[in-house]
Order: sequence, then C-alpha cells, then structure tokens
Amino acid sequence: MQNTLTIARRELRSFFDSLVAYVVVGLSILTVGLWFFVAGGGVWQVDRANFGRMFEALPWLLALLVIPLVTMRAIAEEKRSGTLELLITMPVKDSEVILGKYLAALAMCFILLACALLFPIAMFVWPWHLGSLDWGPIWSGFIGLALFSAAGTAMGLLFSSITESQIIAFFITAFLLGLLVALGMLAQYVHGTVGDIAGFLSFESRFEGFERGLIDTRAVVYFLSIAVICLLISFRSLESRKWS
Amino acid sequence: MSTDVMIYTNDLSKSFGSFRAVDKINFEVRRGEVVGFLGPNGAGKSTTMRILTCFISPTSGTARIHGHDVFDEPLKVRETLGYLPQRAPLYLEMSVLEYLRFAGDLRHLDGETFRKRARAVVEVCGLAQVLGKEIRHLSHGYRQRVGLAQALIHDPPILILDEPTSDLDPNEKTEFLEYLKQIGKERTVLLSTHNLNEVESACSRAIIISKGRIVADGPLEEIRAKSGKVRYVLSIQDATGSAYRGKNTPKKGEVESALRSIKGVAKVHELPNDDHALTYEMAADKDSDLRPELFQMVVDKGWVLLELHKDTQTLEDVFRHLTVGEARRNRKLGSAQETASRDDEGDDDSDNDDDGDSADHRASAEA
Repeated sequence: MQNTLTIARRELRSFFDSLVAYVVVGLSILTVGLWFFVAGGGVWQVDRANFGRMFEALPWLLALLVIPLVTMRAIAEEKRSGTLELLITMPVKDSEVILGKYLAALAMCFILLACALLFPIAMFVWPWHLGSLDWGPIWSGFIGLALFSAAGTAMGLLFSSITESQIIAFFITAFLLGLLVALGMLAQYVHGTVGDIAGFLSFESRFEGFERGLIDTRAVVYFLSIAVICLLISFRSLESRKWS
Repeated sequence: MSTDVMIYTNDLSKSFGSFRAVDKINFEVRRGEVVGFLGPNGAGKSTTMRILTCFISPTSGTARIHGHDVFDEPLKVRETLGYLPQRAPLYLEMSVLEYLRFAGDLRHLDGETFRKRARAVVEVCGLAQVLGKEIRHLSHGYRQRVGLAQALIHDPPILILDEPTSDLDPNEKTEFLEYLKQIGKERTVLLSTHNLNEVESACSRAIIISKGRIVADGPLEEIRAKSGKVRYVLSIQDATGSAYRGKNTPKKGEVESALRSIKGVAKVHELPNDDHALTYEMAADKDSDLRPELFQMVVDKGWVLLELHKDTQTLEDVFRHLTVGEARRNRKLGSAQETASRDDEGDDDSDNDDDGDSADHRASAEA
C-alpha cells in the first residue's frame, strides 16, 4: 500500500509538473462554463434551479478529453522511454504499479469534479444566493460522475498498458468512451434488442439515474465491475512482458 | 552453494519466439567481485540482466541472487539489488533530489537513513552541484551518475549495471570507472559493456557472451591467454608506387604463398592496402618469434620491407576472435543470416540498440 501511494504521489506530481493538470482543469472548466452559462442561452433559459445542463456536458468531457488525457501516459510513455524497467525493478509489485497509476489518474478526475462542484456552490451558497437548491440530485450526480470516472480511468489505463504510444492510447480511449456515452442516445431512439443492449452497455444510460437523484445499485455494480475487470487486464498486460 | 555466491545461474535460457536470446548460461559471481559482462550488441547481456533483476522471466533454468530465487522471491531479489538499466531511463521532469527520494521511498528508507545514504551517494557520484536541477537538463554523464546514485541509495550488496558507460565521453568514462572502483571495494558488481578497456581497468574477471552463450569466463589474464596466439603484421612496398627501389615486383598471390610457406605461420590474412603497400596479418604460436624468418624471406625475394611488427594478443583480439569468429562462420550458411551476424559485430553506431530490439531483428532475419 505504501508503494502504491508513493507511485501515485509521483504520478500526480508529474501531472502538475507538465501541462496536463492545467489543461485538464482549465479547459474543462472553461468548456463546462460556456456550455452551462452561454450556449443556447445557458442555464438561465431552463428557468429552474437545476444542474441538468452540467450533467449533460460532464460525461462527454470526461470521455473525450479528461480521462484519455490523464491515462494516456500512464504505462505507454513509461514503456517507450524505458523508465518502466527502472520502476519495476524496484521492490514493488506489478499490482502496486497499476494501482498507483490508477489512483493518480482518478485523483485528477476528482480534482476536475471538485472544480465543477464549485459552480453550484458559487451560485447557491457563497458568494451568490440565487435561491434554494435541491442538493440531493447534485450529490448523487457527482457520485455518478465519480463512478463513471472510476470505470473510464481503468479503461484508459488498460489501453495505455497495451500500447507504447500515448497518442494511440489517447484516441482508443476517447473513441471507446465516446462510443459508450453515445450509445445512450441510440438507446433512446432505437427500441427492441439493439436498444436494450445499447442501454445496458452505455455509460450515459447508466448515469442518467444519478442526475435525477437516483443511486441505482445496478449502475454502481456495473461501473465498479468495469473498473475491476479493466484493472485486472492491465495488470496481466503489464505482467505479460515477463513471458513475451 | 556457499553463502559467498551472490549471483548464481544454472542453465538459464530465454527465448523470444523461436529465437534463443540466452542459451543455457551458467555462472557464479562471488562476494566482492567486480565482473565484466562482455559481448557484442544482441548477444544477450541485457536479457540476462533483466532476468536477474526479475524484469522478465527465464524460459528455463534458475537464477539466484543472494540465495533468493528470481522466480519465487522477486521482491527479495530486488531489495538486494541496485540496478541501472541501459541509458539510465529516469523521470525527466523530476529533480535529482526528488528522484532519489522517490527511489528511497520505494525502498522504504526512513527519513534519517535516507538523509545519511543520500549524503553518501551524492558524494560518491559527484551530484552535489545538480541536486535541485531537473533531470531533463542534465547531460548524459550526469544522468548516468543519477542512475548510479539511485541504484546505490539503499546500500545494496549487489550492483547490476547495464552498459553504464555507453553514452559517456572519454572523460566521463574515466570518472565513472573511478567511482566504480570505489563502489566495487565492498560490493559485488556485474557490469555489462562492449568496451574492453573498461573491463581491463575496472574488473578482475570477465564473462564473454556471444549469441546467448558464454564463450569465456575467468580472470582477465586467463582469457587473454586463451587464444594462445601472437599476431604479426608485415607490409611491403608495392611496385605501382612511383619510387620503387626493389629488385623484384611483388604480386599479391606470390606474397601470400610465400608467407604461408614459412614454418609456424598459422593464418595469413590480407589487410586493407593503399597504393604504396601490401599489408598482411599473420597468426602464429605464442612462444615463437618469426620476425627473423619473415625478414629473411623478404630479402631473399628482393622486395622492400616497410613494416614488420609483432603483437601479443590484446583482450580486444580475444574478444573479436571469440565473438566475431562465430558470426563469420554463420555468414557462410546463407544470406539470411548475414544480416543477423552483422548485428553481432557491434559497431559503435548501434551502441544504443538495446539487446531486446536487436534480438527481434535477428529473430526476424532468421525466420
């Protein structure tokens, strides 16, 4: 555990030493802000104290930008530059390497989510009081996004562990996560088996309940199982260097 | 197995697909020995080291570090080792001190021990001036020193260094070997390289490996004596030059057969000639001295002798004899293998090729 934290701390530092952390947070907050306040009249047109607009944007942002950015380097870059060899020949277990990197990437997602949480706080608690806000759906929405990130980050880590190119890792992750979010739209318009399958797989459909204040155990299990399975595969993929 | 044996391998093999990168390697390194692990690029040095550091697993055979099996107790093995991989792959965005602290944390050194050890390694490796600098801004020489420092941070009894000097300029090399001598006083060091001078100055024993097999293992003196040959080089003036003063005109075939006819000459090999000279290299038994015969022959033929000298074999020659010889023999088998053996001759351009990579090339060439 100590090693896991040491590795996670180092990773997190390197996010802040490079531009990644600032791009992730800055760009994301800018995009969310524009979407929330400006695009199509913004939240003012909704005429309700409701953060649905924000929960529409954040999954896309996580899927297409944030998660691919924070996971792409994790293993791919270390393999390419050779630093992996030095890291792994320290007295650490492969699982600690994977977990440490996972925690660091997840922490970056959480930092972004924490920044996004500043929106409702600033509007309804301090410094502005635009009225009373129903906080239930906000909290459940953010729990949903945290679970979404947990699954997505594990997936990104998996793709980073099977390639040596961070660019490839970025695009595969963004493409697949984007697809998993987009499947939710398909599920809304297509009925029958195809729609059911799309709804079952889609991160978006799973997330829908959370933004309405519903914590669905099936969705929790779904996100967590994806995370665990992807982490296990990344672990195996890292271990496979021994036998190739 | 005595407790003095720090590194022990038994029939260690590693295959990548159909290619055998390491083929039944057996050796032992004892406490306090500094051993040079020599071989051309792609011979299997890095692969062996990666097995010893538990980065990859052997296909068959066993290896033990300080009594711990690399397969069963990888963490114990890594705790006892300090390892510097080829080209010192460090995290470039970290400062030297941060990096050392990271290595110390992963090795579970507490604050007090870390400070003490850090002070020691910074002194030995000469890092005091660059502690706060980011590694990306350091020269190769300094990066190599940082790599060595992280390998030493936990005061390991065994050090494994993979081509630690390959990227260094001559001054840095000399300095690095000085550190190594200091470090090697109380430690077991396995050092891979293809530069023989380094072995001669830093190691007492060498293991030479070629195509995944050990071709020589022993004290340097023993290895040097291994081929038991001396070399003669003879040049005579070529008649095509403007001012030729000889009585007779030498012809290539004639010179060669004349040299061969001298008793005791084992091998005649033509060296690159220029317009003015025909140069040949000969091998003969160690105890003989053929210089008078060679001189007399040239006089009898009426040629002009430009140069004649005798070398005892250097370690370099033995090395070439043991490793390139094998590559040459293979070249005769077919054109496909020609590319494969060329990789082996290890010219300096391919210094940076890591063993794994060239192993792959060769595997594909042999396929």
